[in-house]
Amino acid sequence: MNRFLIVAAALGVASLCPTVRRAVAADDVIVLGAAISQSGKYAREGKFYVDAYTIAVDAVNKAGGVKVGGKSHKLALKLYDDQSDPALAARLCTKLVTSDKVNFLLGPYTSGIAIAASAISEKYEIPMVQGGGAAGNIFDHGYKYIFGTLANAELYLQPAVELAARSTPAARTAALLFSNEAFDKAVAKGARKWLQQAKIDLVYDEEYAPAAQDFSSVLTVIKSKSPDLVLVAGHEENSLNFIRQSQAADVNPKMAVFTVGPPTGDFRKTLGKAAEYVYGVTTWLPEMDLADATFGSAGAFAKQFQARFGYEPDYHVASGAADVLAFKYAIEKADTLDPKKVRDALAALDAPTLYGRIKFNPVGQIELPQTLIQIQHGRLVSVYAAGKVLAKSLYPTPPWAKR
Amino acid sequence: MLSVQVLINGILIGGVYGIMALGMSLIWGVLKIVNVAHGAVVMLGAYFGFWTFTLWGWDPFLALPVTLAVFFVLGYALQRFVLNLIVQAQLFLTLLITFGLGVVMENVARLIWSSDLRQVTPNYQGAHLDLAGLTIPYVRLGVFVTAAVLSVLFLLLLERTRLGRAIRATAQDLRAARLIGVPVAHIYAVTFGLGAALAGAAGVLWGTLFPFTPTMGGPLTLKAFAVNVLGGLGTMMGPLMGGVVLGVIESFASTYLGPTYANVFSFGLLVLVLIVRPTGILGRNT
Amino acid sequence: MPITIIVGAAVCVLLAAAPALLSPFLIQFLINFFMLAVLAESWNIIGGFTGYASFGNAGFFGVGAYTTGILLTVGKLPFALALLAGGAVAMAFAALIGTAVLRLKGQYFAIATLGVTETTREIVYNLNITGGGGGLSLPMVRSPLPFFYLMLAVLVAAVLINLWIARSRFGYGLRAIREDEDAAAAMGIPTARYKTLAFALSGGLAGLAGGVFGYWITFLDPGEVFKVSWTIRMIIMAVFGGAGTVLGPLLGSAVLVAIFEGLSTQLETLAELCNGLVVIAVVLFMPQGLIDAIAHRRLSPRKLLQNLRQYRI
Repeated sequence: MNRFLIVAAALGVASLCPTVRRAVAADDVIVLGAAISQSGKYAREGKFYVDAYTIAVDAVNKAGGVKVGGKSHKLALKLYDDQSDPALAARLCTKLVTSDKVNFLLGPYTSGIAIAASAISEKYEIPMVQGGGAAGNIFDHGYKYIFGTLANAELYLQPAVELAARSTPAARTAALLFSNEAFDKAVAKGARKWLQQAKIDLVYDEEYAPAAQDFSSVLTVIKSKSPDLVLVAGHEENSLNFIRQSQAADVNPKMAVFTVGPPTGDFRKTLGKAAEYVYGVTTWLPEMDLADATFGSAGAFAKQFQARFGYEPDYHVASGAADVLAFKYAIEKADTLDPKKVRDALAALDAPTLYGRIKFNPVGQIELPQTLIQIQHGRLVSVYAAGKVLAKSLYPTPPWAKR
Repeated sequence: MLSVQVLINGILIGGVYGIMALGMSLIWGVLKIVNVAHGAVVMLGAYFGFWTFTLWGWDPFLALPVTLAVFFVLGYALQRFVLNLIVQAQLFLTLLITFGLGVVMENVARLIWSSDLRQVTPNYQGAHLDLAGLTIPYVRLGVFVTAAVLSVLFLLLLERTRLGRAIRATAQDLRAARLIGVPVAHIYAVTFGLGAALAGAAGVLWGTLFPFTPTMGGPLTLKAFAVNVLGGLGTMMGPLMGGVVLGVIESFASTYLGPTYANVFSFGLLVLVLIVRPTGILGRNT
Repeated sequence: MPITIIVGAAVCVLLAAAPALLSPFLIQFLINFFMLAVLAESWNIIGGFTGYASFGNAGFFGVGAYTTGILLTVGKLPFALALLAGGAVAMAFAALIGTAVLRLKGQYFAIATLGVTETTREIVYNLNITGGGGGLSLPMVRSPLPFFYLMLAVLVAAVLINLWIARSRFGYGLRAIREDEDAAAAMGIPTARYKTLAFALSGGLAGLAGGVFGYWITFLDPGEVFKVSWTIRMIIMAVFGGAGTVLGPLLGSAVLVAIFEGLSTQLETLAELCNGLVVIAVVLFMPQGLIDAIAHRRLSPRKLLQNLRQYRI
C-alpha cells in the first residue's frame, strides 16, 4: 500500500477513536462538553462562550470544585469547533456524549445550532444548559433536557417601547427592522405586541437577510416616514452598519434601539461619537448588584474577565458563565452525577449568580427582565427597567448635524 | 423624490460591485477560470486597508496604489506557482481549487485578525452632501468615483499597451499567442495579478463602507458572478455597467418589495439573463 | 459479474447488521457518510457521466428536505410518503430547471445552477409555509437506526442507478454527450431528453438525501440546507474518487468523510483550514481520481508529482 492511503486510513481510524487528548480521565473529574463555533460565520460570538466557559470552570475549580457525595470534583471542559455548521454540531454532540463520555453538555451559539444540538441532548437524556440560543422554537418541543439562560426573545424590546411611549414628546410612530433569523423574528413578534399595547403606530415593518450590509435603501424609506422610534433586531454587524449608514443618510429618529451591540465595549469603540444616544437592551451589566458565590459579584467577574481576555464581557459572556454555575449548583443539589437526577435538580434550581437569578420556567427557559440602556458620554447608562425609570435618558436624540 | 434617492443609492453602491466584477471578468475571460476565491481576495483587501489605516494611519483612498501593487504580486505568485499547474484542466477542477484557496484565505485571515468585526473609520465617514433634498454620502461618492477611474485605467491598460495586447491575444487563442512568442505562463500570472489587484482595491473600498469579518467573501463572489452575467462577459465596460445595474435593481427591490427581496431579484435575474440572453443585458449579440 | 453482486450483497448484509455492533457515534458517522455518498453519486450522474458541472445540487437537496419537512409537519403525512414526495418534487424541480439551463454550456451552466440554488434559498426565506428564516422544526425520533437504514437504502438506490447508467444505452448516450455533444446529436442521441433525465435523476437522489437529512437533524434552516458547501462537498468527493465511475464517488466520500471528520475532532479550530488544503491537494495531485490512480498504480509520490504536470501551462 501506498503512503498516502495509509495516512488517509490512519486519519480515518483516528476520527473514529476517542480523542487523543482525552478529557475524561480520573473519576473525580466532571466533564462538561460543548460544540461551539470557533471558525465560520459565528466564530466571533462563539469565542464569547469559549472564554466564558473557560473562566467559569477555572473559577469553580479554584473555589474548591463541585462537591458530590462529600468528595470534591474538578470540572473539566471538552470543546469542539462546530465550524458554524448545525449538522456538524449535532454529530460532535453525539461524539461528546457517546465516545468522549462527557457528563453534561454546555450549549453552542445561535438558535439554529442550539436546536440541532438540543435534539441530541434529548435523545441521549444528557442535560444541556445553553446560553447562546433564545428563540422560542428551541423550547417549544417539550424537550426535557434543554435549559436556556438567555431571556425570551419576545421580551427584548418591551422596555424600549414602554419608555418611548411615556417620554415627552411621546413616540407616536415606529419603524421595525429585523433579520429573518429565528431569534430576531421572535423579537419582532414581541415588539409588535408591545407597540400595539403602547398605541404606537408601526409605519415600517420589514425583515432583511442577516448577511445584508447595505441599508441605504431601507434608510431612505425610513427617512421618508420619519418615525419617532426605530427598533432594529439583528447581529452586531447589522447594528454597526445601520448606525453608520443612518449618519451618512441623515436619518434622525427620537430614539433608536438595537437588540445586539450597544452593551459591548467594542461597539462603542468602533463607532466612537456615532454611538452616543444609541439605546440597547441587555439582561446584564457589570454594574448590576448581583452577588455570586464563586466570583463574588457581577462586577468582580467582569474585572477578572477583562484582565484575562482583554475585552469587556457582555450578557452573552455572563450567560455562558452562568451555564457552568448552573451545573455546579444542580450537581451539588442532586449530590450525584446521574444525568436524570441532575436534570431534575436543574428544573428545580433557584440560585443567585453573577448573571442573575437562575430559575427555569416549565419549558426550561430563564426569565430575566430586560434593561434599557443608553450610551451617554461614552458610558453605558441603565435608563429603564421593569416599569421604572432608572436614570434620565437623553431624549429626544438630537439630529446628527447637532451632535 | 424617493425613487430618485433610491436610484442614487443603487448607482453609488454599483461602483464597488463593478470593480469587484471587473477583476473576476478579467480572470474569467483570459484564463477561463471562474475564480470562486475572488470574494476572499476582496476580504484580504479589506484587511489590508484595515492594517494600513490602523497601524500607519493611512487614508484608505491614498492606500490604494500600494494595495494594487501588493495584491498584484500576491495574485501573480498564486497563479504562477499554484493555479498554472491546473489551469488547463476541466472546469470543475479549477472551480474546486479556487474554492479551496478561498477557504484557506478565510481561515488564515481568521487566525491573523480573529473573527472580530473590523472597520476602517476615517473621520469624514459620516459626512454627506445635501442636494435639493437628496442625501449623498461623501464616502460612497468617493468610492464610486474611484471605482470608475480604476476601471477606466484598467481598460486603457488592456486596450492601449503592449501588455494589454499580449493579454488579449492569449485570451483569444492560447496556441497562436504562444507561437508568436507570447510568454503565456507569465501572461496568465500577470492577468491573475491584475484581477487580484482589482479585488484588493475593491476590498479597501468596501472596508470604508461596511465593517467586515473573515467570512465576508462568499456573498461577494456571488455578487460578482451576478454582475458579470448581467454586464456580459468579455465586454470591457460590462462589469461596471453590470455593477450599476445590480446596485439599482437591489436598491429598488429592497425599497419597494422589502429588503429580503433584493437577493431574490438579483439572483433570479442572473438565471433569467443566462437563459434568455447568455451574452448579458449589455453584451454583444453573438 | 456475479462476484460484484456477491461482494455487494455481503457488504449490505454487514452494514445492515452494523448498528448492533457499533457505537452511537460511529452510527452517526456512517449516516453522515451514507448521505454524502448519496450526494456524490447524485452529482456524478450529471457532473461525472454527462460532463455538466452542476453547482446547484444543494438546491435539490434543500427542496427535498423542505418538501419532506413541510409534508410531515404541516401536511401530517406519514414519513415514508413525505420522503418519496420530497424526492419526487426535487426530481420534478430538477427536470423543470434542466429544460431551461441545460442549454447552457460549461461555466454558464455552472453559474446558472448556482444562481437557481441561491434564488430558491431566497424564495424559501420569504415563504410562510417554510417558516422563512425562523426555520422549520421536525418531530424528533430518538433512535438513529431508522436514519441509518433509510440513508443506506437511498445509497444503495443511488449506486444501483449509477450502475445502471454505467451499463445502459442511456449511459453511453450521456458519455457521448460529455465527449462531444454535437457529435452525439449527429449520431441520433436525443441529447436534450437524456440530459434532462440525467439532471432529474441527480436532483431526485439529492432530494431523497435531503428528506432523510431533515428528519434526522430535526431542524431546517434555509441558509443551512441550501448552502454552497453542500455542492462543493459532493463535487470534491466525486472528483476525489473518480468522476464518471460508479465506485469512485463512493470511495471518495468514504475517504474524505473520514478525513474531514478526523480533522474536525482532532484539529478543531484548524480543521476548516485543513479541509481547504485537502481540496487543493486533491485537485493538484489527483485530478483523475483515486479509482484511476489505483487502477493504473499511480499512487507513488513520483507519479503524484507527475500528475502535477498534466494540466500545467
